[in-house]
Amino acid sequence: MAERTPGWVYAVYLALALAGAGLPLALAWEGFVGWLAQARSMTSLAVTLQVLASGILQGGLYAVIAMGLTMIFGVMRIINVAHGEFLMVGAYMAFVFFMMLLPEELHSLFTSNLGMAILGVGVFLLICLPLMFLFGMGVQRLLLNPVVGGPELTPLLITFGLSLILINTFISVFSSDFRAIPYMSGALVVGNLALGYPQVISVAVSAAVTGGVFGFLKFSRLGKAVRATAQNADVAMVCGVNVERIYLYTFGFGTALAATGGVLISIQLAFSPEIGGIYILRSFAIIILGGRGNYLGALAGGILLGVIEGFISFFVSQGSQLQELAAYTLLVFMLLVRPQGLLGGIADE
Amino acid sequence: MKNLKGFMTAAAVAAAMLAFPAGAWAAQEVVVGGAISLTGRYSEPAGRLKDGRTLWVEEVNARGGLLGRKVRLVLRDDRSDPSTAVKLYERLLTQEKVDLCVAPYSSPITEATASITERYKCPIVADGAATRSIWGKGRKYIFGLVGPSDDYLRGAVEIAAKKGYKRIAIVNEDSLFSKAAANGAAMYAKKHGLQVVLKEEYPRTQTDFRPLLLKVKALNADALLGGSYFVDAAAITRQLKELNINLKIWAATVGPGLPRFTKDLGPLAEYVLGSTQWEPVPALGYPGIKEFIAKYAKRFGEKPNYHASQGYAAMLILEEAVKKAGKLDREALREQLTKLDMMTHYGRYKVGPDGFNSGKGLLLFQILKGERRLVWPEESQEVAPVVPLPAWDKRPTM
Repeated sequence: MAERTPGWVYAVYLALALAGAGLPLALAWEGFVGWLAQARSMTSLAVTLQVLASGILQGGLYAVIAMGLTMIFGVMRIINVAHGEFLMVGAYMAFVFFMMLLPEELHSLFTSNLGMAILGVGVFLLICLPLMFLFGMGVQRLLLNPVVGGPELTPLLITFGLSLILINTFISVFSSDFRAIPYMSGALVVGNLALGYPQVISVAVSAAVTGGVFGFLKFSRLGKAVRATAQNADVAMVCGVNVERIYLYTFGFGTALAATGGVLISIQLAFSPEIGGIYILRSFAIIILGGRGNYLGALAGGILLGVIEGFISFFVSQGSQLQELAAYTLLVFMLLVRPQGLLGGIADE
Repeated sequence: MKNLKGFMTAAAVAAAMLAFPAGAWAAQEVVVGGAISLTGRYSEPAGRLKDGRTLWVEEVNARGGLLGRKVRLVLRDDRSDPSTAVKLYERLLTQEKVDLCVAPYSSPITEATASITERYKCPIVADGAATRSIWGKGRKYIFGLVGPSDDYLRGAVEIAAKKGYKRIAIVNEDSLFSKAAANGAAMYAKKHGLQVVLKEEYPRTQTDFRPLLLKVKALNADALLGGSYFVDAAAITRQLKELNINLKIWAATVGPGLPRFTKDLGPLAEYVLGSTQWEPVPALGYPGIKEFIAKYAKRFGEKPNYHASQGYAAMLILEEAVKKAGKLDREALREQLTKLDMMTHYGRYKVGPDGFNSGKGLLLFQILKGERRLVWPEESQEVAPVVPLPAWDKRPTM
């Protein structure tokens, strides 16, 4: 028989609840007041445009990464936790190529002007993507194929294990030092706008890759088969699609997209074997935002998150600390309010 | 079966061969141990600290060792992570039973490991920690060597004040040392009547500072002061150029003071101001400074920076304390470190009642033509600072 809860327990609950609600409110209020003061002193059209442009540039990169994740999820219903590590591997491939294989006299070739710099990234990608495509297929064939269609948790745990293995392997090979590629610095200055060359190149490549992926899915035979498998694997199989092969290609494509993101990060920011976490978190938020398995959704979600992050870290005081919070909050908020995402997800059809 | 037996015998012999001489030597060796960030975010400054210590070990062994015994330096990699460092010290002090302790690099890691070295009563000369609060907790086995974090950016503030720049932006990593450096900068800025238009922290994992720098630009800051280490200081410098942000002053802690900063950033490093505890400038006039610079340059192929100098100085101080105590007894060593008053190539070592080396001041340099040149304080000045920094598009292209 349950004893009657004494009154003081409720009092404690009440106090805890008040404290729990009060603390964030107080913090939020302080942040709001700081924000008002700061925003008023900074805002102008030129500045807002600059923040917007930077956010879009950043978002383009996010979109490429998230697209790989959403593709794998859409087709295979696998949440690939190692996606961020595939990205990291891509960044290190660019690093090895640029810093170890390429003679130093040739470095300036890639940094002399915008055209050559874009060409340089093109070369990185030509080397890196086929390798990562094969790597992705290998992972699918050896680790994931045996468990596709089983309990959803199994592939999740497998990819989680894979991500830890990759991080630690890379730490033991490259150490946990931060690396950077001395890529072209400087900015494209248009009136009041300053767009960093590495970011401009990154967004140009992202656009090309995104366009390529869309074209492939929309028009090619294989692309149609991929979409058919995503919509309904059983029906696709009945119609003569070799689903197992589609899974193989899809995982390869997804991995290559992650690696593309990695190469694009390597030319603009420092990286270490542990950077995957930063991007996987954002990718999750993006595909929830845009709609799981929805490619256009990944594009829209990526750019939206880039812009939101930009505005938060710009306008909110101590905003650098709050960027990750933005991604988390969006993720939870979307799941509660519109779980299918802005553009609707394949998974919910 | 036979093969297996043969293999096992061979293995046993090999193991004995490896273990035995080591065991025989161990009785005579003085093992000096600690954790240090050989890899990770802090590896650049920590690596220089290690080089300074290595030089001392080689020298002390060449002159007959410590108390007539050979010295062996054991430095384990904490990967720039405080909790790893704590585990490593725990192991070094319990299982590996080191004779003498050396400090880790960085204030946050020293703060974490100080409780361990304190618990096992192993005195350390903290050559990689500048934050006063570490000495504000009644610890008895930790001794300061370097000037306080709060003063790192003081020179930059004073130059700004002298030039009549009013708007100061301060950014820092959200960890112990960088916070103290930023707070110190804000304090000095207020003292000189300057306006702190932005004071913002960024997480330890930050690599993209562009949104933050846009804020600095929009607020029209004259000077940007960074409570930073290497990775962040390098990234901020690069991204300032990328966003075409022209500041009158850009000064940072730690990063610019490392040889790799100029090597990695090349022309981007020009004009950056940096705080330093010490520079390889014989005119500083400390005893033996010239000889130390020459010895270090010969051994490592580059001039020592302040971290290297600190690593070497701490070992000299430890050596002196051991000699005075005449034994490796930790209590005797603690007593000697408390009352020692010693001049080295690095400056004076004389701790106050809290164990902090309070007499040590900071300097400021500017990178000019790839060299760090002292610009502050005036009595140590090699050249006048070039401020305002030339705009990016007014500099020669790379």
